[in-house]
Amino acid sequence: MSAMPDPTGATQGLRGGAFLFGETEDLFSPEQFDADSRLMVETAYSFCKKEVLPVLDRLDAQEDGLMESLVRKACELGFAACEAPERCGGLGLTKSLATRILEALSLNGSFSTTFGVHAGIAQSPIVLFGSDALREKYLPHLLSGEWMGAYALSEPNSGSDALSLQTKAERTADGYRLTGTKMWISNAKWAQTFIVFARTNEGVTAFVVERSFPGVTVGPEEHKMGLKGSSTARLELEGALVPEENLLYVEGEGHRVAFNALNLGRFKLAAMALGPARAALHHAAQYAKQRKQFGRPISEFGLIREKLARCAAMFYAAESMLYRTGGIVDHAFQQVDDAAPDRAEKYRRAAEECAIEASIGKVFATETLALCADEALQIHGGYGFTEEFPVARIYRDARVTRIYEGTNEINRIFVATRLTKKGVFQQLLDCEATDECHDLFLRSVRAAWETMGENLISDQQICARLSDMAMNLYAVQSAAVRATQATGPQGEFGRACAALWREQAGVALAAAAAEVFGRCGKAGEPVSLSSSGGKDVDAIATAVLESDGYPIL
Amino acid sequence: MKILVPVKRVPDPYAKVSVLPDGSGLDTTAIKFEINPFDEIAVEEAVRISEQREAEVVVVSIGKPECEEQLRKALAIGAHRGILVETEANLDSLGVAKILKKVFEKESPDLVIMGKQAIDDDANQAGQMLAALLDLPQMTFAAKVELLDGKARVTRETDAGQETLEAPMPCIITTDLRLNEPRYVALPGIIKARSKPIEKIPLADLGVEPECRVHTLKLRPPAPRQAGRRVESVDELIAALKEKGVLNG
Repeated sequence: MSAMPDPTGATQGLRGGAFLFGETEDLFSPEQFDADSRLMVETAYSFCKKEVLPVLDRLDAQEDGLMESLVRKACELGFAACEAPERCGGLGLTKSLATRILEALSLNGSFSTTFGVHAGIAQSPIVLFGSDALREKYLPHLLSGEWMGAYALSEPNSGSDALSLQTKAERTADGYRLTGTKMWISNAKWAQTFIVFARTNEGVTAFVVERSFPGVTVGPEEHKMGLKGSSTARLELEGALVPEENLLYVEGEGHRVAFNALNLGRFKLAAMALGPARAALHHAAQYAKQRKQFGRPISEFGLIREKLARCAAMFYAAESMLYRTGGIVDHAFQQVDDAAPDRAEKYRRAAEECAIEASIGKVFATETLALCADEALQIHGGYGFTEEFPVARIYRDARVTRIYEGTNEINRIFVATRLTKKGVFQQLLDCEATDECHDLFLRSVRAAWETMGENLISDQQICARLSDMAMNLYAVQSAAVRATQATGPQGEFGRACAALWREQAGVALAAAAAEVFGRCGKAGEPVSLSSSGGKDVDAIATAVLESDGYPIL
Repeated sequence: MKILVPVKRVPDPYAKVSVLPDGSGLDTTAIKFEINPFDEIAVEEAVRISEQREAEVVVVSIGKPECEEQLRKALAIGAHRGILVETEANLDSLGVAKILKKVFEKESPDLVIMGKQAIDDDANQAGQMLAALLDLPQMTFAAKVELLDGKARVTRETDAGQETLEAPMPCIITTDLRLNEPRYVALPGIIKARSKPIEKIPLADLGVEPECRVHTLKLRPPAPRQAGRRVESVDELIAALKEKGVLNG
């Protein structure tokens, strides 16, 4: 078996991309959190239930001061300081635990986006790439919640094609003068700091820009379909003066800051999608038990049970992927000495380690949320289509998660392109299959590679099919291995979910493979995978109904 | 001053519990355990006192090694150190009170604050028994606690209205639900609690025998509730109750 290049010296199975070779060693799962960690997660969960969920209408109306006060309260409990190293005032928790805490805080999309941006991409560029001086200048304000942060990459004409950005940074005597418009800036209304990307003569460069700098203004709120409680507006830079020391990392290397913040951002976005999916499953289970038709609660009907079971199984798979990726990210970051002078380089490579897993995790988790929100609404019937019940909000809020932090389409293309350019597809040509899903994936890769070689990256449909297969492979593998590690009722539930998800993914894998073979002149290749005929649906549905939602936290 | 707060490990009050098939106990494989909510209120009250004035808060639990989880949570809320009296034995309220008496004698606290009852067996006896064994004043079901010079003042809610009691310290106070609302456990507190000391004392070392006069013969879940029916008038209701034999004549 060949292996991927290993920049961090990671052990087998904990390297990014190892799953493509069938490796599953050392897989991390939420069941492995210790009692202290679980207490932290429970604190976050009860904070979200008691402080956030009762005020959703007022949040969506953007009541003055409400969101800021909630974010500040969350910061006072330490939730925004989870990941920052202890030497810059953080708690130094693992990224897996910080992510589980974020997931528990994410039952509502508006709060989740606001807090997630503040504690995530608005902060991580300073932690990973900032000088000691920049860290000292900004992190205390951001970690304590005294200030809120934002991240400003997109522009009116530069979205998915992020590096086509037009905002200019001209050199002045003691710094830079920034001119341009940044668009879709979450937290714009409240933020004191913006991570801004602009073009100098050297190329794309990252800056920390304070709201109070001359020439910085924030536009009016966008009227959004959902996430109405979150702030989204333009950031206008009209010759904004930024002092030289606020340049982040290296001039002309801002794309590395942007993309690595986004690698971690996508990894976390999966958690931020699972939060509302958990809320949707809770409402679906409760409603199904209480709503009676034909003289019985609708939770007794086969099609309702199947919906609950499929949602829970996909949730289980998404959760398994997310925390397996967390294990990989933590392993990579634990190799980095925060006190070393070259920490930024090391952090950059650590953040790159999980690029593939973070992308497919983002796509998969946001599509899990789409399914859970949609089916929860369907289970509510006509009532779900009204604002009287909470699922309508979840449905509206969910939609944008497939768009932001890289659309799911861009992420799919990114995965196939990276696997091509890093030579991974080529290495997979002589890899041995570990099971039938892996075998189907490997045969599809071979067919595409033999027909197209590196040119496959110019065929977006082929790219998407191969990315989807990689994604489903990661999902099936992660769920199955996690389930065999778990004991007791969680183990039983997990094994049922893993089996049902394997069946669902099998259908998707077979369809994608058939298309790849068809396009590569191998239309007759066998693609069918074994099926257990939905035998696990009832056990999963029963567990979901008994727990009033997804049973594991 | 020193405040002693006993904390009991109990099943999560929101967990659905099920009885083992042989009726010998609860199926604990899947349930989460928590600090008894009334005890958590007691911890919160003691920690608030220690934030106002010089006070050491000592939390004590009795039971298996897993009780350390609840002690750690109490330490994360802000208690200063913990004591775990290790025993596998079943204990009833008097058994618990006798052990707590030994811990009291060892620690000589100025005040004991404890839950009025535990949500598992709802006995509501240990605090009162502890006071009797120590021959100390007791003020139960506290809805408000104030510390005066050498005295404690407790306001309790009764059916007749509010009642205010005062007793010299040391004394035993048991907490009602409305005394306070326990805080969220802040993350830095959880990390700090890792390095706070927990002293483990085997029960035998306290010189007291585990005692349980209450014997559990068998547990069984309550019978499932039958569906009711709607009646149209008072007359029909009376007739139905007579029919069921609930009303005579």
